[in-house]
Amino acid sequence: MLSVRGVSVSYGHIAALTNASLEIPSGEIVVLIGANGAGKTTLLETVLGINTPTAGTILFEGQPVTGVRADRNVRAGLCLVPEGRGVFASMTVLDNLLLGAHHNMRNVSRNLNRVYEWFPVLRDRRDQVARTLSGGERQMLAIGRALMSAPRLIMVDEPSIGLAPIVVNDIFSILTRLNKEGYTILLSEQNANKALRCAHRGYVLETGRVTLSGSAATLLNDPGVKAAYLGA
Amino acid sequence: MMQELIAQVVNGLSLGSIYVLLVTGFNLLLLVAMIIHFSYPQVVVFSMYVSWVVLRLTGDNLLLGVLAGVVSSVVINLLSAPLFQKVMQKRGEVDINATMVLSMGIGMIITDVLSHSFNEGLPVAFPDSLSSNTPIVRLGLISIQTGQVWSLGVGIVAVALFFLLLYRTRPGRAFRAIAEDPNGARLVGIPLLRTGLYSYALTGVLGGIIAVLLAMLLGSATPGLGEQVAHKVLAVSIIAGLGNLVGGLVVGLLLGVLEAIVQGYVSGSWSNAIAFVIMLVVILVRPKGLFGTRL
Repeated sequence: MLSVRGVSVSYGHIAALTNASLEIPSGEIVVLIGANGAGKTTLLETVLGINTPTAGTILFEGQPVTGVRADRNVRAGLCLVPEGRGVFASMTVLDNLLLGAHHNMRNVSRNLNRVYEWFPVLRDRRDQVARTLSGGERQMLAIGRALMSAPRLIMVDEPSIGLAPIVVNDIFSILTRLNKEGYTILLSEQNANKALRCAHRGYVLETGRVTLSGSAATLLNDPGVKAAYLGA
Repeated sequence: MMQELIAQVVNGLSLGSIYVLLVTGFNLLLLVAMIIHFSYPQVVVFSMYVSWVVLRLTGDNLLLGVLAGVVSSVVINLLSAPLFQKVMQKRGEVDINATMVLSMGIGMIITDVLSHSFNEGLPVAFPDSLSSNTPIVRLGLISIQTGQVWSLGVGIVAVALFFLLLYRTRPGRAFRAIAEDPNGARLVGIPLLRTGLYSYALTGVLGGIIAVLLAMLLGSATPGLGEQVAHKVLAVSIIAGLGNLVGGLVVGLLLGVLEAIVQGYVSGSWSNAIAFVIMLVVILVRPKGLFGTRL
């Protein structure tokens, strides 16, 4: 579904991503593991079209999307749930969801009902401003907002950051269920253990380079991964 | 005495509603297009002149005159948009200071063009059919005129429609998202440049309406009018809190009433100085504005 081939990105003279290649097959959950500053967010934002790569190509469903603007990619079925939730705190839950439907207003009431089925709490709080939500609810709102654009690939940037462990479990089980419903998911995580347990395959990113890749089971048992990311 | 005060307040509210519309346009450009368009009032006054020319050419056809005002304001705004966007791109990131220089330049060019190319720089007078300053109510020395009632009425309707658009429509939602967090809006797939263009167009429409209301209220225009108003609009938006739309509404009306009361009870020629002294005191007490900045 998504192919990232030899992509490099730099901010000024600082290389953020060097010759990174990934394959995200349709119907899978792929996890991107790496420490702070490893280039996870850069990679996801580059796929979305926020950054323009200095080298390499990105294909989404066979079409080249390298350097295509983010709003076009969202229209085409790509979307990103930003790190730290990135919901609009002063706007209502409903307005936040409708922002996700900015390019997809045709089926808005049907999509809204589906999101409310996934996250009943959002229906209860639809007229509250997002500032009043808990961290977990904000993450649900951010995921719900992504669903409003009727995406085929959902990129989720560090969903577990700053959330209580029990809420993290909820979020991962939601991502697993979304995947079973047919959404392809590209996840970035520092919490490698939980992420690898729900993923099909993973990539390890270190200082902007892909250093390791394989099935989730292989990575979970890899001694290097264990030592660096699983705390064991 | 009481009636005189009421008349003076109505007078002030009608002037204030024009300040409110100007500050609203200024704030929208600040929040969505991310520019400080200091010279937005000059663009409005330029539209007054275009309206004046069309009125003269068409034998005071009011409909065409009003249309010309609105269309010219939209056109100027849309023509200046690529310049502003270019300045921001050249600076790498959104740079609000660079846009301010461009805005000042536009304002000075407009003022110069107006003073050289129209009526030899003398004030231009609008026909009575537009400014129609026939008193509705007359109380001693003070009277309430149709132009004042119109500008107050249209001002209220325009502000109401503006807020409806902001809170109930798709572009309005995108405006608010960009105003709160431009980067977040980009990540959700809101096109910043195109949505910014909508805000130029909308403030253009607003500017055209203001131009017509100013013509009705004042009955004339001078090349320096824009600059004079621009200082007040900038002051009002800072006193209210930069980018604070509700604050601009309250402070804009307050300034109008303050000026009218000073004119009525103290001295007309001192109204600007007194208004600015009071605003100076407010900004000393509340440096972030009465209602807080929203940037």
